Amino acid sequence: MIPQHLFSVRKISRDFFQEIFTLASSIEENPIVYADKCNGKLLATLFFEPSTRTRLSFESAMLRLGGKILGFTSAKTSSAVKGESIADTIRMINHYAHIAVIRHYIEGIGQIAEKFATIPFVSGGTGTQEHPTQALLDLYTIQKEFKNIDGLKVGVMGDLLYGRTIPSLLFSLAKYNNVEINLISPPALNLRKNITLRLQEMNCEYSTFENIREIVDELDVLYVTRIQKERFPDPTDYERLKGIYQIKPDDIKNAKENMIILHPLPRVDEIDYEIDKLKHSRYFEQAQNGVWVRMALILKYLEIG
Amino acid sequence: MSEKNNKLIVTKIKEGTVIDRIPPGKALKILEVLGIDANYPYTVALAMRVSSEVMSLKDVVKIKGKALNQSETQKLSFIAPTATVNIIENYNVKEKIHLKIPEHVEDFISCLNPNCISNTHEPIVSSFDVISKEPLILRCVYCDRLIEQKYLDRTF
Repeated sequence: MIPQHLFSVRKISRDFFQEIFTLASSIEENPIVYADKCNGKLLATLFFEPSTRTRLSFESAMLRLGGKILGFTSAKTSSAVKGESIADTIRMINHYAHIAVIRHYIEGIGQIAEKFATIPFVSGGTGTQEHPTQALLDLYTIQKEFKNIDGLKVGVMGDLLYGRTIPSLLFSLAKYNNVEINLISPPALNLRKNITLRLQEMNCEYSTFENIREIVDELDVLYVTRIQKERFPDPTDYERLKGIYQIKPDDIKNAKENMIILHPLPRVDEIDYEIDKLKHSRYFEQAQNGVWVRMALILKYLEIG
Repeated sequence: MSEKNNKLIVTKIKEGTVIDRIPPGKALKILEVLGIDANYPYTVALAMRVSSEVMSLKDVVKIKGKALNQSETQKLSFIAPTATVNIIENYNVKEKIHLKIPEHVEDFISCLNPNCISNTHEPIVSSFDVISKEPLILRCVYCDRLIEQKYLDRTF
């Protein structure tokens, strides 16, 4: 069952994840077969916050499917600067496109979409709340690597407080069996209470660490996130914490042979460039997978087989 | 309202509402959420931090000419869950309302998250699920953030 709009991975089932992965894999193997599937279809990209990968990979996905794109890349170039509400923007886009992606710093726009959207709206990142399509491509990357997500040991490191990819990733992993989740962050950047409560409601257990070296040798996947300057109300807190969680080759010298490192990108200095050369790094492949996954998602939402 | 021989004497009202056993210090907030201010045309009696056998200290409010509706009693259940509400007619208690925290509350409590869509000018009202009554915890339907009892007063 596919929700009318996608703003939280909590609303989608493990079966839907698998449907997306199967279709994404098929597209990746033979993209030419899908080159005209979205002829005559329009994707609106409404980015009220900056984006590189999410916007470009959605646009690339739609163009590769033969569709067209329209949209804006900054709130400054939309009528938001004139005070237009998100509800009114959605009501207008309903008539301009067949599917829309929206990124906004305001949280809770999923409910506005449910109330006012008549076309599918997909979150391209909602404040610090969630980034559901990132989680889809994260898990696609993990599944490609290990064939099965059940039973993996996953470390999630960095900014667990403000990073919007984190709740989506954890809620997604919670759908799988016996995934061992290890959270590695300074106490000041631990998960928000509402996220821990949601995980509790999903019967998802996790362990917490402050230093990657305590757990790195056990991990199959190390997911690193950026300490996000733009989310800190007080810039001095950012200055104090940035760089504390920086992975260098020495930190992962005891890692398993097949351990992979993922990162939603952009990185600042949390993964040393030296790591790029190691067999563990997968973050650029991960970003590339975003195109296949988003192509699959567009096809599902437009009900195109 | 006066004190005589350590007993509090409060004049009876003919029609209106008596809110008793209010947690000490909350009476002014109650008047505020009920929209009772200096322009209210009838008698309002307010006693703060009077001694109480049950609660040690309590506030009491008597409002002439006002019967609380369901929405107002719902608001009271969050501000003063221990309070008792008596609707008075002809000097007698016509109805005793027991405050009960609802499962869901709309358009009264504001979300503490400044980036929550319910704090913008969108055509929606604030909306919370009560996910625990003891201790009181509310969850915003929009942004999912929690409001715990100790922060609730900031939201009214």
